Amino acid sequence: MTQQTLVRPAAASPQPPRPRRRPPSFRRQGGAAHVFLLPFLLGLVLITAVPLLASLYLSFTDYDLLHDPELVGLDNFRRMAEDERFWASVGVTLRYVLVSVPLQLAFALLLAVVLDKGMRGLALYRSAFYLPSLLGSSVAIAILWRQLFGHEGLINAVLGWFGIEGESWLQNPDTALSTLVVLNVWTFGSPMIIFLAGLRQIPEELYEAARVDGAGRLRQFSSVTMPLLTPIIFFNLVLQTIGAFQAFTQAHIISGGQGGPLDSTLFYTLYLYQQGFQSFNMGYASAMAWVLLVVIAVVTAGHFLLSKYWVFYGDER
Amino acid sequence: MDLVTRRRFLQLVGLGAGMTAVAACGGGSDGTAIRYAWWGDTIRQQKYTAAIEEFVKQNPGIEVRPEFADYDAFQERITVQTAGRDVPDVFWIPSPHVMSYHDAGLYRRLDDISSLDLSQFPAEQLELYKIDGELNTLPRSVLTAAVRYNQTFLDEAGAELPPDDPQHWTWSGLQEFLIDYARDAPPGRKAIHYNAQADLCFEAWLRQHGQDLWTADGRMGFEPAALEGWFEWWEVLRRAGAATSLSEQEGASPEWEVVGDKVLMTFGNSNHIADEAPMFPDYEFNLRMMPVLPDAAPGHRFGYLSRIAIYQGIDDDKLDAAGKLVNFNINDPGFLRIVGLSVGAPANPRMLQEAYAVANEDEKKMLAVVEQEMAEEQRPRYEAPPGSGTWRTIMIRGVEEVALERASVSEAAARVIAEIDRELGQAK
Repeated sequence: MTQQTLVRPAAASPQPPRPRRRPPSFRRQGGAAHVFLLPFLLGLVLITAVPLLASLYLSFTDYDLLHDPELVGLDNFRRMAEDERFWASVGVTLRYVLVSVPLQLAFALLLAVVLDKGMRGLALYRSAFYLPSLLGSSVAIAILWRQLFGHEGLINAVLGWFGIEGESWLQNPDTALSTLVVLNVWTFGSPMIIFLAGLRQIPEELYEAARVDGAGRLRQFSSVTMPLLTPIIFFNLVLQTIGAFQAFTQAHIISGGQGGPLDSTLFYTLYLYQQGFQSFNMGYASAMAWVLLVVIAVVTAGHFLLSKYWVFYGDER
Repeated sequence: MDLVTRRRFLQLVGLGAGMTAVAACGGGSDGTAIRYAWWGDTIRQQKYTAAIEEFVKQNPGIEVRPEFADYDAFQERITVQTAGRDVPDVFWIPSPHVMSYHDAGLYRRLDDISSLDLSQFPAEQLELYKIDGELNTLPRSVLTAAVRYNQTFLDEAGAELPPDDPQHWTWSGLQEFLIDYARDAPPGRKAIHYNAQADLCFEAWLRQHGQDLWTADGRMGFEPAALEGWFEWWEVLRRAGAATSLSEQEGASPEWEVVGDKVLMTFGNSNHIADEAPMFPDYEFNLRMMPVLPDAAPGHRFGYLSRIAIYQGIDDDKLDAAGKLVNFNINDPGFLRIVGLSVGAPANPRMLQEAYAVANEDEKKMLAVVEQEMAEEQRPRYEAPPGSGTWRTIMIRGVEEVALERASVSEAAARVIAEIDRELGQAK
């Protein structure tokens, strides 16, 4: 019956006249769609595109917000080469990206694998593990981190049980950045949820087949889970790398906006912010923003180029 | 499903737009609306909001729209507002930006506003407030550098500060006393917290050395040796165990909650006692003027005037209301009764006397020390020039270098001076 309804008529019946105009209802719906899209499009143009272009223009100017901008050509970009604090911020940011992103992804994957075991109360655990991601950028973190890593914090209290008198981890230039790495790793909720969704996509039959072939849990993980999860790992890697390059709030809150002690937590974006809104060098800050954009674009492109060597998509031969 | 007709859709859009427009008009008034921007903490925000309510009650037809922020956020916001030519009608001026805002043309002259009564200020005082020969800002309060100490801790130790006279109340005498106190202090207690970044106190040090923080022509007014001496004074205390380490006090510019019950003494602004003493209600705090060098330069005493201004671009029809609001801030004793003295002693001489009637015990100590300082001979003091907005941040890094032993005193001083000089050079 069904097939009959799908059979195209054999005879070449005369084609019905093609409607010259779209149905009125379609047109009306299309018009409404455009109107509903208008707020988004306006936002895109006014809040994103125009400021983006304005900042590109400002990057070639000397602009202190209080006076009109003056064109200075490439001076802002040349200045970066000689700016010690600029390079300090680059170093801090690179260290942060290189250490915190792999650690965070590894931790998120570990938790996702554990949660994927179908334990009781999974939804509760998922929510609980996601909670730090919501708190990670809040002001409360400054207080919490002091309670943990301060001179009289929990970590030093524990060390004290073993007779070790610790300094404030937040006020030591050698350890301050590590506390921010810990904070980033702690906010693993978002990649964990994505990993969890990815793990759920892996067919159970593959694990069954692996078990039949005698694969243990580790072998199943390395030969089934990891290869099939590489697109998800790649996705998380790209997102978290971009996020780490743009990290700002944690350092701003915990160092009181200074990036201290001794610039040890001076993230690139924090220095950019200091230049723009504290030193009022908005031209220089705009130039820094564009350099960051280019660096992130290059790193992301690099990720995509390298992905063909390690990311496995199921439809590939 | 019935589709929405074009007519019906446009009707809905029109209705929505109309309602939005009506909503946007909500909260308005028939009178004059003045935007007033100030900074502070939550307590100050509550007190000033109450004062504004009182002002509005006294001045029907004037609406005041508060724009409140924390000190750092305030500076950032008003600068961005300046870029957008959207500056509040009446605003406080942060100390590092008095001249930057002047250069940007933010201040309107104040001596031609009929609703603003200047008669309570002596003419010679008004002359001192002028910037480039024009009375375009007014001081809403006076702050001085001061030493605050915990009398309860002193009594517990059975100790007394060096006598408050120029022979004994000296930098070296105080240093010896603090080291001595720390030797017998209870566990966890230090004599002073490491506060080398306290700007007014550093300025007091400079002026006693015959130097200035800023010069009349907008440059740095001090030599490396003066800054080195300042760093060294603190380092002697730290090395002797009399001052807290940066680790113990959680940073170079610690919060009073963190150190308030750990130290006998602190350096800071005279007005801070109003907000900080109540944080430790079990202790009694007292204030003194800064110690002096035996050969201190004449006229070294000074007060910092915290200023208020009216925006140059204010609409003419708002000027009278803005004048009334400034008048309420600087001339009305009722205002003091509501907001207290957390911003410092009133600059208006008559209000200063009125202030004693509304001040609590801590605030009276602040008023007394300010009066004592202001009664002394004072040579001119120059406002922070454009480009100096980040000098405190640079100073903090210098303090960190020294106190964390990452640089010698002379290296840190040289770096601080070079960086401030570079920032000044970059200003337009």
